[in-house]
Amino acid sequence: MIYLFNRIKRYIMRAEARFFKSLADETRLKILWLLFEEGELCVCDVVRALGITQSRASRHLRYLYHLGWVTDRREGLLMNYRLCVPPGSPGDKQLKLLAEMFDSLPEAQTLRAQLLDWLGKKRQAQAKDTAVEPAKGSVRP
Amino acid sequence: MTYPANRLQRYIMRAEARLFKSLSDETRLKILWLLLAKEELCVCDIMGVLGITQSKASRHLRYLYNLGWVMDRRAGVWMNYRLSVAPGSPEDKQLKLLAEILGSRPEAQTLKDRLEQCLTVKPEGRDSAAADCKCSCGL
Repeated sequence: MIYLFNRIKRYIMRAEARFFKSLADETRLKILWLLFEEGELCVCDVVRALGITQSRASRHLRYLYHLGWVTDRREGLLMNYRLCVPPGSPGDKQLKLLAEMFDSLPEAQTLRAQLLDWLGKKRQAQAKDTAVEPAKGSVRP
Repeated sequence: MTYPANRLQRYIMRAEARLFKSLSDETRLKILWLLLAKEELCVCDIMGVLGITQSKASRHLRYLYNLGWVMDRRAGVWMNYRLSVAPGSPEDKQLKLLAEILGSRPEAQTLKDRLEQCLTVKPEGRDSAAADCKCSCGL
């Protein structure tokens, strides 16, 4: 009887633990922060900004997707992600707190500058040649 | 050219990731929740309320101690722990948010009630170098 009670009790904060588990990885923290600052990002943007492989970026984004942090939108070959936490929810408050922590971090600003730099280049390339396929050159770093 | 920069970059949010890692376990969340409710708790209180073994309670408390969430005070054979986050620090804000999230959960409320129960049953004067734990954990 006591055993059963303890078994049930063991799971009572599982959802919250899972919530924090999704934040317990540098790559996911960086992705969430960049999405918080920039709105919608393509997988290739994350790849370029963080200097990681496409498979790693996609894997972490899918993890965040399954936990309800982000929502996806397909555009041809590319997948775009944006945050989808309802305003005022724990997730929303957590993201704001996260942004507060990172705003004072110079390394985080460098990361953001890197992303902005890449986004600028991407837009230039798209403007120059509308026929360019962003999937080809951009997915592999 | 970009390789060394990427290598360094990989570590830039490690401290924050570690912070969240410490919150990604049910037992640690429960312990923090109990410490938020009561200023200082003995390892035996946590064992009694959560129904876990002493080694598990101590291990998680040491984890929290090493990350700076709690500080310890020895009283006889038992170790007492209390929260040690600086007011206004990111950790403090994180704890407040945690309290807010957990406060809406009835299960968390049940844990708090159990803690009250456990503490009222416990006789006073336990701190004075008592060799045995005299709370309801049955040791």
